[in-house]
Amino acid sequence: MNGLSAYLTTLAPEIVLTVGACAAILLGGRRAAPVALLATLLAFGWVLGAGIDETRLPGLRFNALSFYVRAITLGVGLLILLVNWHLPVAAERGEFFGMILFSMTGVMLTGAANDLLVLFFSLELVSVPIYVLVALSSPDKRASEASVKYFFLGALTAALMVYGFSFLYGVAGTTELFGADGGGIAGYLAGGGMRAPYALIGLALAFAGIAFKLAAFPFHVYAPDVYQGAASTITGLLAFLPKLAGLTALTIVLLAAGWNSGGRSAAIMWLLWIIAAGTMTVGNVLALLQHNAKRILGYSSIAHSGYMLIGVLAGPAAGEGPLRDGTAAMLFYIVVYGVMNLGAFAALGAISVDGRPAEELEDLNGVARTHPGLALALAICVFSLMGLPPTAGFLGKVYVFSSAFSLPVTDPFRVPMIALGIIGVVNAAIGAAYYLRIAAACYLTEVKTPQQPAGDRALRFGLALCALAMLILFVWPRGLSRQAQQASRGLTSSEFRTASVSERR
Amino acid sequence: MDAWILTITIFLPLAGAVLISLIPAERAAAIRRAALAMSALTLVAAIVAGVRYHAAQQLNPQSDYQLRAQYPWFSTGTMADTTEHDLVDTPWWAGSAITFPVDIGYKVGIDGISVWLLLLTAFLTPLAIWASFTGVNERLREYYALMLVLEAGMLGVFCALDLLLFYVFFEFTLIPLYFIIGIWGGAARRQAANKFFIFTLAGSLLTFAGVLYTAYFAFTKSGEFTLDLVKLVKLGQFGAIPFGVQWWLFLAFAAGFAIKVPLFPVHTWLPLAHTEAPTAGSVILAGVLLKLGTYGFCRISLAMLPAAAAALAPFMATLAIIGIIYGALAAWVQRDVKKLVAYSSVSHLGFCMLGLFSLKMAGVSGAVLLMVNHGLSTGALFLIVGMIYERYHTRDIHAIGGLARPMPWMAFFLVVFTLSSIGLPGLNGFVSEFLVLLGTALSGNTTDQFAAGPLGYAYVVPAAVGIILSAVYMLWMCQRVLFGPLTEPPHTPDTSRSLSPDLTRREIAILTPIALACLVIGVYPNPLLNSMNTSIAANILEPRQLHFATDESALERHTMVATDENTDRGSRSEFNPAPEAGGRKFERGARTSRLEFNSAPKGRRIVATSETRGIRSSKINPAPEGRRNGAPALEPGFPPPLRGGTPPAPPSPRAAPVATFVRPVGAVAPLFFSPAFAAIPSPEIPAPLTTDNFTASPALERTVR
Repeated sequence: MNGLSAYLTTLAPEIVLTVGACAAILLGGRRAAPVALLATLLAFGWVLGAGIDETRLPGLRFNALSFYVRAITLGVGLLILLVNWHLPVAAERGEFFGMILFSMTGVMLTGAANDLLVLFFSLELVSVPIYVLVALSSPDKRASEASVKYFFLGALTAALMVYGFSFLYGVAGTTELFGADGGGIAGYLAGGGMRAPYALIGLALAFAGIAFKLAAFPFHVYAPDVYQGAASTITGLLAFLPKLAGLTALTIVLLAAGWNSGGRSAAIMWLLWIIAAGTMTVGNVLALLQHNAKRILGYSSIAHSGYMLIGVLAGPAAGEGPLRDGTAAMLFYIVVYGVMNLGAFAALGAISVDGRPAEELEDLNGVARTHPGLALALAICVFSLMGLPPTAGFLGKVYVFSSAFSLPVTDPFRVPMIALGIIGVVNAAIGAAYYLRIAAACYLTEVKTPQQPAGDRALRFGLALCALAMLILFVWPRGLSRQAQQASRGLTSSEFRTASVSERR
Repeated sequence: MDAWILTITIFLPLAGAVLISLIPAERAAAIRRAALAMSALTLVAAIVAGVRYHAAQQLNPQSDYQLRAQYPWFSTGTMADTTEHDLVDTPWWAGSAITFPVDIGYKVGIDGISVWLLLLTAFLTPLAIWASFTGVNERLREYYALMLVLEAGMLGVFCALDLLLFYVFFEFTLIPLYFIIGIWGGAARRQAANKFFIFTLAGSLLTFAGVLYTAYFAFTKSGEFTLDLVKLVKLGQFGAIPFGVQWWLFLAFAAGFAIKVPLFPVHTWLPLAHTEAPTAGSVILAGVLLKLGTYGFCRISLAMLPAAAAALAPFMATLAIIGIIYGALAAWVQRDVKKLVAYSSVSHLGFCMLGLFSLKMAGVSGAVLLMVNHGLSTGALFLIVGMIYERYHTRDIHAIGGLARPMPWMAFFLVVFTLSSIGLPGLNGFVSEFLVLLGTALSGNTTDQFAAGPLGYAYVVPAAVGIILSAVYMLWMCQRVLFGPLTEPPHTPDTSRSLSPDLTRREIAILTPIALACLVIGVYPNPLLNSMNTSIAANILEPRQLHFATDESALERHTMVATDENTDRGSRSEFNPAPEAGGRKFERGARTSRLEFNSAPKGRRIVATSETRGIRSSKINPAPEGRRNGAPALEPGFPPPLRGGTPPAPPSPRAAPVATFVRPVGAVAPLFFSPAFAAIPSPEIPAPLTTDNFTASPALERTVR
């Protein structure tokens, strides 16, 4: 396939979303949300119907990973649209839903990026609409403040990232990540380029930019403020799409750095190890000090980035299957995380106290009495975040921690990974304490100020779906875990072995 | 039927919980009746399971677990060994067959240990639910639904044959109990619930790490990620788990289990949780939930990690003894009756741990029996305390007294359960406490019949002091509450809510079955003990024994037995040579043994290389003539394995009976004539193993170097 038709068929989901976004902006008002939903459904159907294709386009390369990223972006995107249906006031609806679709498009392109420039642009395509979304989500001044804060820090780290990319271009002489003939940056790095200090500097700066997207230590400071400022339901998107894009980008960059083919660099390993351990610990410990439910969930989403980084670090080196393939474990976890986190934020958004959205822990006092269904959904999502059975969050932790313990004995990073897994387990125990406070506020206390329901039926429907998905994924994880495995296997398949081949040479 | 009965038993309460949440909240009577009916139905199912278990055990005594059923959960279904994958043609919804063997799933089955705990759970829950009819008066729907959910979790723990499933149920019980304590508890309920939850979760997350590492470790040994308990125990018994790994795994598992038990330094959550929980919560917590910890030690730590359990036994037993004494002393000074009973639980569970870590038949079977007995007597004590509290609204020993006069029925039951709890001969507590002490003593007996065990008389003496202390504080409590001048707080007894000054008929009906069970177990414990001993020998002690066996022929034969059985059941254990654990070297006393297992990639052909070095301990008697020719040189004092690999052949006339601990017991028995002793020499142990019992399967090819 060549030429225009190749672009059109391969990029159809992204094109549909972009067209949908433009239509939503133009139509605006009541019709924006249905148009966005329709575009997402169409794109979702197209992605699933087309299955995994392995087309290469200039700067883009489609494979099992990009299929998985597309599918879960759109799948969780449907839930995101549902819970945000009631936002914002009529005047800005078009822009609001348009921006959601643009952001999703960016995530989908990230999964297929095969060029540093495309990677950078698609990551920014994820973030820039979110700056707008934060500001649009609520008439509150704090939302504007959050938006500005997010924008400045985001711009700073984007500059860091692009600076790092320039180093990589400088040493490799190309911006292409995986050349068709085993060349590109991956080929360069595998052929001894990892020893070049500029390559390491470039990678480290790129990780800084990605760490910001993940809200990972030490670039996590913005997260709780921004999450608190934005409307609850959009926070679910805020804590999911950039992280998915960031983790995908990290996986791709690490792949180019020979992560899957034995050429692991100790410097990168320890850098990411410190980031992962710090992210988990900082997120969990600081969450303990909070009294605001949204800030608790904000810090908790930092901690979850740390758990997912364990999976990225373990990588597919141990072999197949999400129990030992860290990438597959991470890909499974991110979906579970996205849904449960969205559910928890959506539940906060569905409750209002004194005419303002519920935010403080005290606002949730006795919700189980006034809104038993809402409280149950929130409890399911919170127990899932905690990682207790019978919820999918438990399986996510099973997969991620198991991958940390499963590196072969010959692997030089086995002991640090086991240590990281244990740090993760201890962190999960710390995390239980503050999640429990949310559950306790709902169930163990008496009503302080009677809560009113907020939002619309779509929000409650989306919330119910999130909670239900957590239970269903626990009983039947195989559908998703197989897909995650397949996506990760795409990374270790023949094409990527070129790197190790050239290394041997 | 047999394949379904356990699943039905586990999920019936869950169905009941769903049913109850559909009843309108204002129909209180219907909710109560539905909860009672569903839990009674679960009891019926559990009884059916118990009956079917024993029937199946009669039919097929060689199988270690009965009523097994499994459903793939993590398993990948097809385990086709395809290395090249066609990613493009795979439909998106199916994924492709993962070439990654996982054997983790929903697997249930019971043996003689779990069947009694299953029955105990199913027996106590309806009584606890019935007892809450007057005590719980708000948010009824949630309360009864959570009680049933809790029951399902506990039943699941005892049925699980997969470590991950075990862990899932183990953790799952936290959620309902957290809410039961936190919503319907006493004044400090939130603090109690949070402390209970965080303490237990923190410990069990370390267990979680242990579980995951076990799966990986099994993978390096057998080529599949398995958490199948049966396979894992086989791995442990063949020495495939090196001592260092066992050590760490033991600590990881102990972190979760010890907090649940609770063992001495980590028991602090228990008195608070017990005191603040509603009556039914305390009953379930003491009656069943604490047993999840001891059950985990028994089922996982002892069987799967034999070397670490032996090495750490003195340490664990010391903690247990500190718990016994400390719990008793703390109980002595309590003013709150409920707290007193709670501390007595710490003390009793210490006995349970002591028995388990004696690593002897008598001790372990006493410990398992103690789990059941403690559930009955302490559960009943909590029920009685709850009944007093409903009438007098206080649990302060100084505020109530002389209640035997207005409440003769209550006094009767309180005395019965007190005596049962302190181990009066003729009631259930005596049998189990005696067996525990016997096992502990035997464990250190180094005279002719016995190899040195980890414990000994040094452990018996303080434990026996604990028994005396338990008599002191329990009888003191009885005396203060029941006798002396009548003391009642003002405006009591509260006889609203259809209570009468003495126990109502409902309350008598709740306590009577427990009292009967105590009496029956006290007078005639043989059926329980026989059923338990069979499984303890087969599933807990025999794997341990094989692990430590040094006799070449014993190892060789048991390799074959195990493989043979596995092939019959369709589940093979394969031991791959792994670089870092090509063999094990474990030193214990004067013995050094080295053992290697290699296997061809796909089963069938097992090459067992076994090498014996060093000197046999001179403390072990030379084997009788009949056993020297290849009968297993089991550690004397250990009952023979109950499973034969091949169909049992008539015992060879030359075969010398394998020594059991009959002899020393026989010597003391006249001193303490009690039916309990009749249980110890288990008459149903089949013919001793002889050379004739074993024929090499043609499928097996072995090389002994």
